[in-house]
Amino acid sequence: MAARGHVQDPNDRRLRPIYDYLDNGNNKMAIQQADKLLKKHKDLHCAKVLKAIGLQRTAKQDEAFTLAQEVAVLEPTDDNSLQALTILYREMHRPELVTKLYEAAVRKVPTSEEYHSHLFMAYARVGEYKKMQQAGMALYKIVPKNPYYFWSVMSLVMQAISAQDEKLSQTMFLPLAERMVEKMVKEEKIEAEAEVQLYFMILERLGKYVEALEVVQGPLGEKLTSELQSRENKCMMLYRRLERWAECNALSCKLLLKNPDDWQFYLLYFDSLFHLIDQSWTPPQEGTHSAEGEVHASISQALSFMEDRIATEEAKESKHLRGPYLARLELIRRLRERSCPEAQQLGEPLELMFQFFVKFGDKPCCITDLKIFLDLLTPDQHVQFINRLMEAVPLGAPGEDGVAFPGDTRALQRHLCVTQLSRSLGQQHALNTQGKLGLIKELKAHYRHGLQFGKSCLKTELQFSDMYCLMAAHVYIDLWLETSELNMLWQSLGLLEEGLSHSSSNAQFKLLLLLLYCRLGAFEPVVDLYSSLDAKHVQHDTIGYLLTRYAESLGQFAAASQSCNFSLRFFHSNQKDTSEYVIQAYKYGAFEKIPEFIAFRNRLDHSLHFAQVRTERMLLDLFLEADISSPLEESVKSMSLCPEEDDILWDSLRDNRDLTVLVSWNPKDRQLNAEHKQRSLEDDTLWLRLRSLTLRLIGCVSALTHPPASRNSEKRTENGVAAKPSSLRSLLSQLESTLNQATQFTEKQLQVRTALSSGCCQCQLSSLQLPLHLQELEAAGLGSLLHTSLYILEKCKGDPLEVKDSQSTTQHFLLENLVYFVETVCIVLWVSNYCVSVLRPLKSSLQKKKKKKKEARNVDQSFSLQSLLNQALEHIKSQEISLTALKLGALSLEGQTQSEAEGTFTKMAMDKVQSSYLRSLQEIGELLKKRADTLKSLKI
Amino acid sequence: MTTLRAFTCDDLFKFNNINLDPLTETYGIPFYLQYLAHWPEYFIVAEAPGGELMGYIMGKAEGSVTRDEWHGHVTALSVAPEFRRLGLAAKLMEMLEEISERKGGFFVDLFVRVSNQVAVNMYKQLGYSVYRTVLEYYSASNGEPDEDAYDMRKALSRDTEKKSIIPLPHPVRPEDIE
Repeated sequence: MAARGHVQDPNDRRLRPIYDYLDNGNNKMAIQQADKLLKKHKDLHCAKVLKAIGLQRTAKQDEAFTLAQEVAVLEPTDDNSLQALTILYREMHRPELVTKLYEAAVRKVPTSEEYHSHLFMAYARVGEYKKMQQAGMALYKIVPKNPYYFWSVMSLVMQAISAQDEKLSQTMFLPLAERMVEKMVKEEKIEAEAEVQLYFMILERLGKYVEALEVVQGPLGEKLTSELQSRENKCMMLYRRLERWAECNALSCKLLLKNPDDWQFYLLYFDSLFHLIDQSWTPPQEGTHSAEGEVHASISQALSFMEDRIATEEAKESKHLRGPYLARLELIRRLRERSCPEAQQLGEPLELMFQFFVKFGDKPCCITDLKIFLDLLTPDQHVQFINRLMEAVPLGAPGEDGVAFPGDTRALQRHLCVTQLSRSLGQQHALNTQGKLGLIKELKAHYRHGLQFGKSCLKTELQFSDMYCLMAAHVYIDLWLETSELNMLWQSLGLLEEGLSHSSSNAQFKLLLLLLYCRLGAFEPVVDLYSSLDAKHVQHDTIGYLLTRYAESLGQFAAASQSCNFSLRFFHSNQKDTSEYVIQAYKYGAFEKIPEFIAFRNRLDHSLHFAQVRTERMLLDLFLEADISSPLEESVKSMSLCPEEDDILWDSLRDNRDLTVLVSWNPKDRQLNAEHKQRSLEDDTLWLRLRSLTLRLIGCVSALTHPPASRNSEKRTENGVAAKPSSLRSLLSQLESTLNQATQFTEKQLQVRTALSSGCCQCQLSSLQLPLHLQELEAAGLGSLLHTSLYILEKCKGDPLEVKDSQSTTQHFLLENLVYFVETVCIVLWVSNYCVSVLRPLKSSLQKKKKKKKEARNVDQSFSLQSLLNQALEHIKSQEISLTALKLGALSLEGQTQSEAEGTFTKMAMDKVQSSYLRSLQEIGELLKKRADTLKSLKI
Repeated sequence: MTTLRAFTCDDLFKFNNINLDPLTETYGIPFYLQYLAHWPEYFIVAEAPGGELMGYIMGKAEGSVTRDEWHGHVTALSVAPEFRRLGLAAKLMEMLEEISERKGGFFVDLFVRVSNQVAVNMYKQLGYSVYRTVLEYYSASNGEPDEDAYDMRKALSRDTEKKSIIPLPHPVRPEDIE
């Protein structure tokens, strides 16, 4: 917000120190300085605004707003005030107020280019497209510069994009935009590349592909120079849309001759080829084949084209490209799909893949390349294929244990590739337990042998043999899933810890460790692992779920708060940030980026993960704080929770999780597929619905608890806490039906299943139903609720970690159950608090006698509630003691001949789990203790 | 075998396999959007046939034309571990150089950690030379000392006498560079 203009205005000089204080983050001094200045110069409005910025930044939003409005109503036209107000409104997340500001300014100074342009940008920030269109034209009339005209055109395109009615877009907004550009074209006023781009965008959206093609290929198209191959790419896209397969084919041919490694053009070449064959296309009698030159319209032409590409590669001495070889496999696939016998002319896939391996087997991507063509092999070829490849791997003489090792990193990479392919073909999964253990032994040997090649690797580099270690960990997991033997999981964890100790930057080790620890219910080690991934910004959305999904339910409340905060901070800055760059895109004429940025902002705003952390964070705050450090209604108010309003747009939720971030070489039938992703999204959405309804119901209870006298009705509606019984009723019935839905739905989903089987969901529902019963003066009590709670507590009993017959077992779901128990206790307490507040006045009422009985019962219930909590606390205490006493070191891992070094890493993993359980118990215990204390102060 | 195309916002959701590398910085959203808004042609991503992102380059054009300092700048270049040793970085650099040629730049420059020998050697192979050392350019967060950067340059055809790459005799401070 610093210096502007060169002419020294005395006011600028006076304001300078305040700007400096604000820039340096010294808000207090800025406020003082502004006060000082205002004493002398009452009319220096800008000083007021700067003071307001200081107030805003010291969390005095209300004061700041009032002060700002004092200036805003004067409709200032001085630069300083306008800019300062703009900054302030943006920080207040009130960009719509900036538009009002500049509307007034241009009314007063109608010829100001600057204010008009600010007004346009202010509209852009809030997406007022129609007003942008007008503002752009007004600006162009004052100063006839092309960019202003095209801002207006782009605003029409945005109206088209955002219109609910597609017909309106196609018949009104876009044609109007087209005519506006055509006018400029006719007058030969087109100047910039951006203007041609915009013209192209409009024609494309109108489906006028022929016209678009004319533009790209005509003189206007000559302006498209920034992007490489801009005209070619655009033509290609249009040929496809127009189904001009001859041109499409000829152009992809040309582009492939230029760059025989660009995969997209092979695909287009094949697509167009087969379309032409299907159409029985023949070249014209005379003249060229097509506007783009020679066309291939027969399989034989394609075969010879491919052979030429490969011959060219073969003739090269080094730096062979992979494209032509893989394209040949792709062509075989397509010919086979069409049952063309010519497929055989290209060769046998097994042989071709072998040749590819000989050429590129020492590249780490060889597995990724070949993986997608494995289905060209018949199942009975698999063994032969792997054996064939193995012959091409140079290994030394087998050692004592029968394992032969590679002599250098290239040989290692080749061997690794064969191993990865073997896993991808399902050969590892087909092994029995003994076979798998043997495989693990071999993989470990390769891993450790390979470490010698990476002795000089920097901390930031990976070890050459890391992937062996990762694969061995995967095979352990296979064994664990098959046999349910926890030892396998311990070994897997130990091995990964070992791997990490040699290769501290390996993200794959960290990710898998993180997932396994969570599966075991141990969240404590996860915090460090995740932070060492150094995930930032957008990664909080794409991989943040790894953290937030488990923290709270495993009873690590402090870590849960923190991880939710990471994500929330990112999401909250998004809205403000992206709007600024929409504006930038107008300034630089990057018109095609504008809808892209807006779609991006929406994708983040509607992120499932965002909704999850928002909801969980509020629930967590309530469970941890409400009625402990401040009353429930204060907590609810401070998070501006409005029970009547659903802040989640359920139909537009976006799943931005990167579920493929973990590497795996599983065979196709075990890979993550679209169906898994869809189910996972449905499960998560269902759970979110339960949580969100619970949250809103707590808000309702809080609103009911308010003694009506203490609040004036106006304020209550303003805060949105004036929950009526009707909204309580409707939310309850939603919760009930979602629970019913969940019960039918949960064979796979762990979180919902654990929650349901713990009984907490039902109990929370019944407790939340109580206020309703009370309002209807039905006889209802906490009695049955207590029984249910007791039942939940029973389900929490047992040892989370146990050593029996020198085998360790974990029952981490007990931790989750404890957390649900505590959550339920919180809700029961809040509801009881409300019930008491309703019943107390009745005591002195006419039905004194009748109610006395009820009161007496309430006392009973508070006693039994107290004893329930005591029982739970005792249970946790005893768990803590036995867990501390647990000596995992004495554990011998049966059936495993672990070396001492291996044992150390496994032990390390076990210690981490043990320590994490203990910490969870402590955190849960502390919270419960606090709840027990509030129960005492609750004068029931 | 790579599809080379313009980087879009949606790629930010898919670039974890590249950015989980310890030397690759994940910037805040504004940083990426600034580049996409201002220099979209300079932000190119390589995609494997299976849809995995292989690597990307992000750059810009800057500097004064009148002082013969108009040039292309490489802001970020990263390739996922499994797609290394394929010459992909060289391909992406070549594209950035060509765009800079078209814009009439005098040279292309980039900053690299002095310790990142792999990268320094690769740039040397691609024709870049050390123009100057920038002292303590990379700030360290964990108590370690700040690290120096090499400012490496390669002359483009417009700089016929290759004046832009004559090495400076003395290192400079970060505040002295434009």
